[in-house]
Amino acid sequence: MEIPVYLFTGFLGAGKTSFIQEVLEGEDFNAGERTLLLLCETGKEKYDPAQFARPNVYIETVKKESDLTRERLEEMQAEHMIERAVVEYNGMWMLETLFRAMPQEWIIYQEVMFADAKTFLMYNQNMRQQAFDKMKTAELVVFNRFDRSYDKNEFHKIVRVANRKSQILYEYGPDDVEADNIPDPLPYDMSAPEIDIKEEYYAEWYRDINENPQNYDGKRLKVKGRVAMAGDLPKGKFAFGRHVMTCCVQDIQFAGLACHYEEDEDLKTGDWVEIKAKVKVEPEEVYEGDTGPVLYCYSVAPCAPAEPEVATF
Amino acid sequence: MTKVDIFSGFLGAGKTTLIKKLIDEAYGDEQLVLIENEFGEIGIDGGFLKDTGVKINEMNSGCICCTLVGDFGRALNQVIADYAPDRILIEPSGVGKLSDVIIAVQDLHNDQIQLNGFTTVVDATLCTMYMENFGEFYENQVANASSIILSRTQDMSEEEIEACVRTLRAINKEAAIVTTPWDQISGARILETMEQKKTLSAELDKLREEAYAEEAAHAHEHGHDHEHHHGHDHEHGHDHHDHEHEHEHHHDHDHEHHHHEHEHHHHHHADEVFQDVGEETARKYTKEQIQQALEGLEDEAACGMVLRAKGIVEGTDGRWIHFDYVPGKPEVRSGSAEITGRICVIGTDLKDAHVRALFGLEQEA
Repeated sequence: MEIPVYLFTGFLGAGKTSFIQEVLEGEDFNAGERTLLLLCETGKEKYDPAQFARPNVYIETVKKESDLTRERLEEMQAEHMIERAVVEYNGMWMLETLFRAMPQEWIIYQEVMFADAKTFLMYNQNMRQQAFDKMKTAELVVFNRFDRSYDKNEFHKIVRVANRKSQILYEYGPDDVEADNIPDPLPYDMSAPEIDIKEEYYAEWYRDINENPQNYDGKRLKVKGRVAMAGDLPKGKFAFGRHVMTCCVQDIQFAGLACHYEEDEDLKTGDWVEIKAKVKVEPEEVYEGDTGPVLYCYSVAPCAPAEPEVATF
Repeated sequence: MTKVDIFSGFLGAGKTTLIKKLIDEAYGDEQLVLIENEFGEIGIDGGFLKDTGVKINEMNSGCICCTLVGDFGRALNQVIADYAPDRILIEPSGVGKLSDVIIAVQDLHNDQIQLNGFTTVVDATLCTMYMENFGEFYENQVANASSIILSRTQDMSEEEIEACVRTLRAINKEAAIVTTPWDQISGARILETMEQKKTLSAELDKLREEAYAEEAAHAHEHGHDHEHHHGHDHEHGHDHHDHEHEHEHHHDHDHEHHHHEHEHHHHHHADEVFQDVGEETARKYTKEQIQQALEGLEDEAACGMVLRAKGIVEGTDGRWIHFDYVPGKPEVRSGSAEITGRICVIGTDLKDAHVRALFGLEQEA
């Protein structure tokens, strides 16, 4: 039997408890299903089970990240014969710990991240990994205690780097909530005869062409990056890309695409080149036979390295 | 030689505010360099720095995984080579482990560096909650601190402050803990504490020496006092004798012990003769309460023989009470604020529990 998991994340004091208390008080969410309320954090707000719409909510607490194990969760599931779980996660713990610990039949149905808008920017800068980890998979990000003087773009952009699809809400006070409708236009002109990808937009371009390859099929573009002559590539092919950092130095990866180039240029791994290419979306060996964007170059010219060399969002 | 002071503490605890206060009120003309690895709430802006000779060196890596990788050591060595400052203040990321920073500095084996103080700033209003939820890195910052400076105590009751101090004490027995609101004490005084010049144990030692000096003078005058000591020593010997019966084979040990006792007579180490009650407390008192407690110390049957008492505690009216006691002469007056309340009592055959009760202090576990 599938156990739906409703996962609430965010740093201490972000408003998780108040929200969970509220939804468990409502008949909509709480019609009496046997529910495990798993607390991995104990903040200022306390739960008031007497106010829950229905009984059958079983509260369990895990105080240490190392205690969050599959055995422990299986025990809770068996003891309370639960039909679903609501998890208030600890802001300092990585989500992987939970995902690894979840019994197989536990399925994340919804994941919501809360953040206190007053501290979010500072926490995000100083605890980038923890913040990024939660934004990456959240379907909804709620900024509590938002103030009309804040710049929504700043918050929007931070969330978008981690997750392009999540919904964002700004909460100014009780019943005063605004949905984020800031469009995310690409920073280059897709209708140009030859799309010009400026070096500072490499990461965004790379992500978009992988997420929406069909938008680029048949288009021409100009972009700067490095050559990577992976060992077994046949003549006339090379990999082209740049190192991209999403969260911090630890996650720097080479983000590259397959290229065709018929001219017999002497390309060496690490060379900086500006390529002009036509995109074809097709099955490609480099992608292990999967269909993906392949760049058919009509010009490959040496160029100066990008500054900085590592691309970011 | 460059002194290195490390300021740790969670985001928003008040590290930058404390550093500002120390720059304004404590470091004087010292040439300082501040190495920050945190994007703080209150920026130390350039204009402010120009007046003070502070140089700022911000490491641009704001997350746990990136801290302390190579950059840090290089930055530190570079700063010493370039500026040869009197002091370097390091403000590591609020979510790093203090022990990692200390080790990173030690590993440089730079003989120009003198590791000076490990100060952890703790927001007293959030201490218990953070301790419970943040786990290892937060505990590490507290456990490895040589001094702990509490912030935001002005909004708390004395019970709340005491509870916070207990939480901290459970994982750090040694550190000096500053509980007084920052606007009541000078940066210079805080620095003294950070540099361990005026701790509770130092204070007790001083009091002991004083009492001993006096005791020695008395002993010359009154043979009786002296004999009292002999009696005391004898009792020890007796206890020991019983012990000997149970473990007759421990001859060498006995011998050593006797030898030790023998020395004891000659050197008269102050701390072997006197007992003390030393306590730091955030409790507030009225002058009358202190006066009464001091009068209570006169009762030799209940307290033992109290030779000296001294302390500084916060008054219920927010002013600070200083007191001194020698037998028959309790003295209570108003004075300047201290980093935390402090009560020291020295005497012979001191009845710990009763003395504590007089001052309303918690009994020792």
